[in-house]
Amino acid sequence: MQTSEHMLRTGRHGTLHEFGMAFADLKASTRRIGLAWSLAWHDIVSRYRGSILGPFWITLSMGLMVLGMGFLYAEIFKVPIQRYMPFVALGIVFWGVIVGVITEGCDTFVHASGMLSQTSLPMFTFVWRTVLRNLITLAHHMVIVVAVLVWFGFWKVANVPMALLGLLLVLLNVSWASMAVGIASARFRDVPQIVGSIMQFAMFMTPIFWEPGRMSGGRAHALLVLNPFFHMIDGIRAPLMGGQAGSGTYPILALLAVVGWLGVFTVFTLTRRRIVHYL
Amino acid sequence: MKGPQVSITVSDLTMRFPVYGVDAKSLKKSLATVTVGGRLGSSLTGATEVTALAGVNIKLKAGDRLGLIGHNGSGKTTLLRALSGAYEPDAGQIEIHGQIASLLDLNLGIDPSATGLDNIRLRGRIAGLTAREIEDKLEEIGEFTGLGPFLAMPLKTYSAGMQARLAFAVATAVDADVLLMDEWIAVGDAQFQKIAHKRLLSLMERAGILVLASHDIDLIRLYCNKVMVMKGGVASPVTSVKNLDDLLADA
Repeated sequence: MQTSEHMLRTGRHGTLHEFGMAFADLKASTRRIGLAWSLAWHDIVSRYRGSILGPFWITLSMGLMVLGMGFLYAEIFKVPIQRYMPFVALGIVFWGVIVGVITEGCDTFVHASGMLSQTSLPMFTFVWRTVLRNLITLAHHMVIVVAVLVWFGFWKVANVPMALLGLLLVLLNVSWASMAVGIASARFRDVPQIVGSIMQFAMFMTPIFWEPGRMSGGRAHALLVLNPFFHMIDGIRAPLMGGQAGSGTYPILALLAVVGWLGVFTVFTLTRRRIVHYL
Repeated sequence: MKGPQVSITVSDLTMRFPVYGVDAKSLKKSLATVTVGGRLGSSLTGATEVTALAGVNIKLKAGDRLGLIGHNGSGKTTLLRALSGAYEPDAGQIEIHGQIASLLDLNLGIDPSATGLDNIRLRGRIAGLTAREIEDKLEEIGEFTGLGPFLAMPLKTYSAGMQARLAFAVATAVDADVLLMDEWIAVGDAQFQKIAHKRLLSLMERAGILVLASHDIDLIRLYCNKVMVMKGGVASPVTSVKNLDDLLADA
C-alpha cells in the first residue's frame, strides 16, 4: 500500500536512473518519517510488553554494571573514582547506542520482509526505524548519564552543545554502518554473527573501560587514532566531562560519515532492486 | 483522485527472480518443461534465475475490473506484487495513477501480542494513513469488527475468526483508487461474511480499478469485466470477460 498518487516503475535505465530511484526512496522515507517513528515506538512497546519497568530494565542492568565496574576498576587501575565512574558510565551508555544501531541493523531488512515484499514503502524507512528505536532506548539510559554528571559535579563543566554535535556525528556514522550490515545480512546470513564478533572485539579495543591516557608509545597511540569507535565515544564523552576531544576527532567523524554514506548509498543504488529478493 | 485519471499501464513487464544459495543447474533441464512455475535459467552471477513474468502488457482505466486466472506459479501474485510497487521490473514499465491498496496479505504488520486497537493503529500507519486519520476512523473500524470490548485485549486472546475480522476491517478501511486482491477475501462466520462482502463491494465501487487473482472462475465472472489468463509467466491479452470460455478452451 502506498499513498503516492502516481507510481512509475521501470527496468534498469543505467546507473544514473538507479541513483535517482535510490534518492527518491530516501526522500520518500523522510517525508514519512512518522511511520518510521511509529514502527520504532511499536517495537519498543511490544518488546517490553507486560514488564513493569520496560526499557528501564536495561537501564537498571547498565546502572549496576556502571556501579560495579566503577568501584572495581577504579581500585584496580588506582584512579580516583570521581573521575573513573562518570568515565565508564558515559562510555557504557553511548557504546550501547553504537552497538545497538549496528547489530540491530542486521535485522533491518530481514524482519521487514513481509512489508517489503508487498508494499512500496521506502527501504530507508526501516533503517530509520532501527536508528530511532535505539534513540528511544538511549533516552531511557540518559537517567544514568544525568545521574553521574550531577552526582560527581560534572554538570558544571559539561559542554552539552559539543556533546550533542558528537552524538549527531556518531548517529550519522552508525546509521550508514547499520544500513550496510542490513543489506549484507539480507544477502548473506553469516553477517550477523560476524558483526556480533567484531562489535564485541571492538568493545575491548576501545577505551570504554580503560582510559586512553594510560596508553603510551606510538604503536598504542596509533591503535586509538585508527579506531573509529574511539573517536565516536570520545566525541561525546570528552565534552560531557568538561574536557576536549582530540583535535582530529570531529573532522575524522565528519569525514567518515561522508565517505561511509557515499559508499553505502552506492551499494544501495546497485542492490535496491534486489534486496527484496534476498529476503 | 477518482474518475478518468485512474489508470494502470503495464508495458512489456518482465520479472526475473534470482534464487540465492540454490544450485538448480542440474535440475534446470527437467524443470524447464513442467507447467508449474516460471522458467528457470542462470544469470551471469551464477544465481539461478526464475523468469516469473515475461513481456506482460496491461492497460486499464477507471471502471475496469480485471480477473487474473492461471495455475499455481503462473505469475499472478508476482504481477500483483509488482503492481503494488514492491517488486521492481527487470524490463518494461509499470505506471499507475491513483492510490493503491493491496489486500494481498491480511496479516501484514499484525502483532499478536498487541491489543486490537493498537493493531488497527499500526496497520493503518503502514497503509499510509496519518495518525490523525486513524484516530478519526478508529471508531468506525472498531464498530465494523463487532469485537466491542475485545478491542482492548491482546490479539492473541482472539479466536482465528476474530483475528481475521480485525485484519479485514483494517485492511479495507483505506480509500483507494486501485485495489489489488489475491483471492477474494472471505473471513469470519456466515453473518460476518455477509457484511464483509458488502464492504468489499462498496470498496470496489469506490475504487476505480480492481485487479483480482483467483482460481474461482465463477467469482471472476461475477466481479470482473475483463480477464487475463497467465501461463508460466506469459500473459494472454486483456480481453472482455465474455471471451472467458474461449480463453479457457485454449489454455
